Amino acid sequence: MDLLKSYLGAVKRNLPRKQRNDILAELSEELRSQMEDRERDLGRRLTDAEQYAVLMQHGDPMVVARRYWLERSRSLALGWELIGPELFPAYTFVLLLNLTITVATIPVALWIYHVPITLRPFLLPIAIQIACVTAVFTLLNGIRRKFPVNWMYAPAELASVAPLQRWYSVSGLVACGALTLWWLALPRFQFLVLGSAAGEVRLSSQWHRYYVPVLLLFLAGMAQRAASVARPQWNWLLPTSRFLIDGIAAVLMFFFPLHPLVIVSQAVANPAHAEKLAATANNLLRWGLFGPWLWIYLGASSLVYAWYCRPHIRRFLQSRRNRIRTVHELNGVI
Amino acid sequence: MCATYYMSNGSQNSSELFENLKLELRRGCLTLAVLTQLRTERYGYTLRKALADDGLEIDEGTLYPLLRRLESQGLLVSQWREEDKRNKRFYRLSPGGEQILEQLLNEWQSINASLNRIMQEV
Repeated sequence: MDLLKSYLGAVKRNLPRKQRNDILAELSEELRSQMEDRERDLGRRLTDAEQYAVLMQHGDPMVVARRYWLERSRSLALGWELIGPELFPAYTFVLLLNLTITVATIPVALWIYHVPITLRPFLLPIAIQIACVTAVFTLLNGIRRKFPVNWMYAPAELASVAPLQRWYSVSGLVACGALTLWWLALPRFQFLVLGSAAGEVRLSSQWHRYYVPVLLLFLAGMAQRAASVARPQWNWLLPTSRFLIDGIAAVLMFFFPLHPLVIVSQAVANPAHAEKLAATANNLLRWGLFGPWLWIYLGASSLVYAWYCRPHIRRFLQSRRNRIRTVHELNGVI
Repeated sequence: MCATYYMSNGSQNSSELFENLKLELRRGCLTLAVLTQLRTERYGYTLRKALADDGLEIDEGTLYPLLRRLESQGLLVSQWREEDKRNKRFYRLSPGGEQILEQLLNEWQSINASLNRIMQEV
């Protein structure tokens, strides 16, 4: 009943606090009764996949929980619905979490990079967080309205029994492929990161040090997505590989902007102007594209995937224990 | 091509419209059916099965919040009790609920009779 427990846990997070335990006890009873009825019909215990099917039919934990909010259904709309009431609690949670992490870590990063603490370094990351999180949730809401699915993000226990959807791997493969191409083209076409300043300034040796490790991570990400397209039933592959890739990437992206990323090109007509350009480019890269948000995001993502690895590890250990027990029992019989 | 687009778009809208109207129609009927079934004490799962056996399928995601709403309105009373070694929440009509149900059933019969007359006239 691990799956049921995990499903109820996911519903619980979105229930009204006062009635939480009461609703959960009743929901648990309903689902148990349904599963027992199925077991009675089949004359055996339900497999994980069959339990998953019952829970799938019951619906998205977030939507199920939202039905118990009788009056307080908030949403975000600008003339038309941007984020519906089902996603709005998750939106506010993610946004607040991101903003808290950003506001808490920027002073630490400023201290590490020996930059005086002012209001300015906070503004861009906060604006980026609000814009990105709102855009992502608006997109999710649109997809949800257009293609209603039973649920979008299965909790860790349930995700470990569900095959990975091919469209998810294919879209990831396309996005990761585009990023890999961009990275591959960078040494030859430096304007892809420096823009029109590419003649006067160039990428520093810091890029050479990190180029191959980052490229390998991109290739590993593409390999995982390609394998998931071919073998969607290998659902352990996504969390384990992302845990490793995002974890290593977070460490790399923490150290990458510690040294100047852009230096003045040789034989420039106006060295003073080029110096100024290099300083501006370094600041933009250090606080924008490769700013603290990147390693924070990658680190958080790695931790989330580590959580999703848990049921796979437990299942693996359990199957190993069962195998050893079977061998011992057979030895006893022989 | 324009006509095809217009027709497909139109039919999609009409099916959506039908679904919305059906939902509206079902909402009141479900409340009435649930209240009527709960003249006998039942817990959620058996209530859902009883409704399904009578041809009125209702998913649990709709039924349980509805039961809570009806209870908060004072039409139902509930009690946690052990049955088959498991705790279950039993619902039944409250005395106030019985009165309201009687009125609602009268109203339903009068609407039904009117509708029948209207349809015969048509």
